[in-house]
Amino acid sequence: MPLNIDIVQILLHMLNFVILAGGLTLLLFKPVKKFIGERQQYFEKQKQENEKNAAENEKLKEEYEAKLRDADAEIAEKKEKVKIETAETSKEYIDTAQEKANAIIAEAENEAEIRKVHILDSAQTEIGELVIEATQKLLTESASEERVHNLYDEFIKKTAAESH
Amino acid sequence: MKKKISKRRAVFIFVWLALIFIILAAIIALWEPPAETESIKVAMKDGVLHDKNKISLFGIIDVNPALISAYVVTAVLLVAALLIRIFAIPKFKMIPGKFQTVIEALVEFFDNMAKGNSPHRTGFIAAYIFSAGVYIFFSTMFELLGIQGVTTAGHSIALPAPIADINAAIAMGFMTYLMILAAGIVSNGVKGGLKVLKDFSLPISMSFRLFGALLSGLLVTELVYYYISLSFVLPVIVGVLFTSLHALIQTYVLATLASVFYGEAVEPKKVKKTE
Repeated sequence: MPLNIDIVQILLHMLNFVILAGGLTLLLFKPVKKFIGERQQYFEKQKQENEKNAAENEKLKEEYEAKLRDADAEIAEKKEKVKIETAETSKEYIDTAQEKANAIIAEAENEAEIRKVHILDSAQTEIGELVIEATQKLLTESASEERVHNLYDEFIKKTAAESH
Repeated sequence: MKKKISKRRAVFIFVWLALIFIILAAIIALWEPPAETESIKVAMKDGVLHDKNKISLFGIIDVNPALISAYVVTAVLLVAALLIRIFAIPKFKMIPGKFQTVIEALVEFFDNMAKGNSPHRTGFIAAYIFSAGVYIFFSTMFELLGIQGVTTAGHSIALPAPIADINAAIAMGFMTYLMILAAGIVSNGVKGGLKVLKDFSLPISMSFRLFGALLSGLLVTELVYYYISLSFVLPVIVGVLFTSLHALIQTYVLATLASVFYGEAVEPKKVKKTE
């Protein structure tokens, strides 16, 4: 054959390659590919789980946000209610206090009036007594004046006697 | 004291190396090849045809040295694959180490190539191009080892790359073609087979491309080796560079061609759209 082509050697080369290809496929290619496939599946599974978890987390987040929004509204509503209640209660307290104060004032005024009357009565009595006493004193004092006149007369008489 | 000794030693080593270099240079300058040595023409012809030096295969048949190379490479690759299968693959981790990354990258490279070029059927062609790629790459690199064999005439010969033998290249080309033909018949019946048969030039082009590529490298290295004065430094560059490049390029070319033609052969028939 030209170029030293030999059919037997070609077949021997083919046999060699068939043995090699079979061996490499069974010993190396398939096990490695299987491992890569398993790892890919593992990571795919992980990825799916992560995506699932992320979706769940997103859902939970939305729920919480919705709850938070509701809570805010609820708080605002309660705040308003409490404000109204507080206003009402404080008004009640103020009214009660006002009533009590009015009652106290009225009572005080009443008492003051009574005392005033009482004091006036006492004062009138006292003034009467003082007048009587003064009158008596005046009367007493006019009697003494006579005595003073007498003494004065005596003095004059005595002085006249001495000058003589 | 110590400094004196080390200085003396350095001088001694320098003189010794210089002496060796001078003697070697004198040998190269004065050496003439013996008259009975094969001429460059004979060496080149044997490099191409392998018709002079034969090696006995288990004493049964005299074969080209490349066939012995092919069997040695196959044996080494199978043992390596077995060792990897037993010791390395069971210890593979989810986060790969260096060795695992190399093995996985190798498998994925051919697998992805098969998927890209033949998306309809990938399983078989991926394994095929993986095996062919590994075989072509390592058998071409095998040449660099320069393992010696003994010819039937009793001479020593460096075992060449298997694909540098035209018989190996023809075997690869025809086997690839037959595989594609079989895949065409399995996928699309007789029509698929006929479609592949149209490309009857494929095995010839594939075989001779492999052979020619490997041969060109071999001839250049052979030429360089022939002249002993060129046998310093230059073979390191020429031999290693040519061999490595051929190994890579031919692996890629054969794997790509095989997967592309396989992909065409197994492509499902287009169903005519009814309006």
